Amino acid sequence: MGKLNLGHGSGGRLTQQLISEITGEFPDDAKIPELEDCTFINGGYAITIDGFTVSPRDFPGGNIGELAICGSSNDLAVRGIKPEFISMSLIIEEGFELEELKRYMKSAALICSKLGIKLAAGDTKVVPSGSVEGMFITTCAVGRSVTPFKLGMANIKTGDSIIVTTSIGRHGAAVGASRFKLAAEALKSDCAPLWPALKDLVDIEGLRAMRDCTRGGLGTVMCEWAEGNNIGIEIDEDKIPVREEVHAVCDILGFDPLYLACEGCAAIAVSPERETEVLEKLKKHDICAEASHIGTVVNSHKSLVGLRTSIGGIRVVDMPVGEMLPRIC
Amino acid sequence: MYKGEKPARISLLIKALNRLAPKNMTFMEVCGTHTVSIFRNGIRSVVPQNIRLLSGPGCPVCVTAQGDIDAIIETAGNPGIIVATYGDMMRVPGTSGSLAQKRSEGADIRIITTASSCIDLALQNPSKEILFLAIGFETTAPATASMLMEAKERAVHNISVACFHKRTPPVLEKLAMDKDLKIDGFLLPGHVSVILGYEPYRFLADSYGIACSITGFEAEDILLGLADLAKQVMDGTPCLHSTYQRAVKPGGNKLAVELMEKVFVNSNAVWRGIGEIPDSGMKLNENFRDYDAISKLDMAVRKVAPPKGCRCGDVLSGRITPRECPLFAKGCDPVNPIGPCMVSGEGTCSAYYKYSRGGRF
Repeated sequence: MGKLNLGHGSGGRLTQQLISEITGEFPDDAKIPELEDCTFINGGYAITIDGFTVSPRDFPGGNIGELAICGSSNDLAVRGIKPEFISMSLIIEEGFELEELKRYMKSAALICSKLGIKLAAGDTKVVPSGSVEGMFITTCAVGRSVTPFKLGMANIKTGDSIIVTTSIGRHGAAVGASRFKLAAEALKSDCAPLWPALKDLVDIEGLRAMRDCTRGGLGTVMCEWAEGNNIGIEIDEDKIPVREEVHAVCDILGFDPLYLACEGCAAIAVSPERETEVLEKLKKHDICAEASHIGTVVNSHKSLVGLRTSIGGIRVVDMPVGEMLPRIC
Repeated sequence: MYKGEKPARISLLIKALNRLAPKNMTFMEVCGTHTVSIFRNGIRSVVPQNIRLLSGPGCPVCVTAQGDIDAIIETAGNPGIIVATYGDMMRVPGTSGSLAQKRSEGADIRIITTASSCIDLALQNPSKEILFLAIGFETTAPATASMLMEAKERAVHNISVACFHKRTPPVLEKLAMDKDLKIDGFLLPGHVSVILGYEPYRFLADSYGIACSITGFEAEDILLGLADLAKQVMDGTPCLHSTYQRAVKPGGNKLAVELMEKVFVNSNAVWRGIGEIPDSGMKLNENFRDYDAISKLDMAVRKVAPPKGCRCGDVLSGRITPRECPLFAKGCDPVNPIGPCMVSGEGTCSAYYKYSRGGRF
């Protein structure tokens, strides 16, 4: 691959290649081979880490501080782990306004206190102007499993129902719109902590796997499940909740909502008998009011995701390659 | 996502198409946005088998000649230059590397969504030259023209335009004349027609007997356009229709056409894989010569053969489907694209790969 480009950080196929290059340098006895949002370590604890470089740092519906807590805690929540501790590393460009920094930390603290998360360790570096664009945050979240099940994509079986917890693509559309200066007032990021809603599901027998649809969006999660587990997945375009304003931004920039980042949305695989219960429990929470059954794990086209289109056609949903680029016309 | 009465209309259209197309017919969708919409909506899986859908030369990035792409990428590395480009160009492979690669090596390359951003870039960076990659058909050309008019009026001089804009009617004539293709009907590009109106296409029906339907981009629009083409063919009365009247006026957009006339002159242009087509390009006219990147930045545009084995040209002219290219999914895929048809979001090969990989759907 020679040199890295932005596509290697997009969450799609190039990122997958890069991750295998990186982990390839670690011998087998020095790593845990799980490609999930977080990994179980000892004593029922699980750990995850995530870096936040969003631009702009203030986006409609949130900011980088809030995002840094939601992102990492959601990575735990989707495996039935109650987020308990956060360590945070800040890399800040010299000249950064202290007021701005404090504002982000206040937002982060608010989410932490809402979830009962304690800030456990931190590191702060200030680097010369030009070394980073403003500020980058890395958070590592640790928590304990509160479910009797080891949730993960390996559990997903033919016949399982696929559910999405809210309408997709709002974070990517909101950030994209502000980056390309499109006025879209109704459009807000879905940035939110998932634990309050997902904790209600973790005792349901038949809950197989949950996944945070961040970079790469719902489409990428579906592809990772299909490829990682050699299963066929079929989703139904008409059942996937997408808000009008997200469609509008996608139409202008040539994006596909399936691949737009979400920051408060999970995909869930559950046995078909428990689908209704999952949906009912989700819908009690405001952030999951749009939860919807969107598809099924099928016994055909193994390792591929099919989309039943609105007009009754069918096509493949492929993992995106690199950066999403606005098109010419 | 269709709600309400639309599903009923769509199933009627699909039934009508089956009734209207009892024999083999070949239709070409000219616009890249049509190609993507056809795949994204799974239209191929619902139209009758005897309708053959070809994708035409409608992806602006894909038809840009390899020599033009190389010249852009070579110039991009120069210090003192900020490249302003539409996103589609970033990953297009030149003979050595792409703009994305150049950017990772430190070249200053900005993705913009409208040509007018060049003015802001130029004013914010007075010591730099803004190199704008003017790619696209009659849809993006008016925006380039408008930006240049503004630049001239406001005496903004640090902008250079690599003008590779292309005109749609001449390439359609070239395809219409191609006896091997046997095209029965064109789904004509809705966006281009918003600018040009009806008249520039009429010769396709009048002189070449090809059915024409100016078509929008929703699934329903495309099904309606296909049904219209099938009916024209079966009735033996090929003519020019518009099924996109909500957006296209018969006279087009006069203001946009005037803008283009003020800034460009028609010129011969090289289309990737198709070759040089007389009068199919737009270059800057005398009044805007000072903004021409080729002379201003001394860009070397060479004649370069496409990469070995790459049949993008045959794909673009509908001669083969991507699956017939020996490189398709064997050495050329979206991760390692060899030709631009595989990399551009509107490229035919990319659409074939992404939406119906391996023909499993």
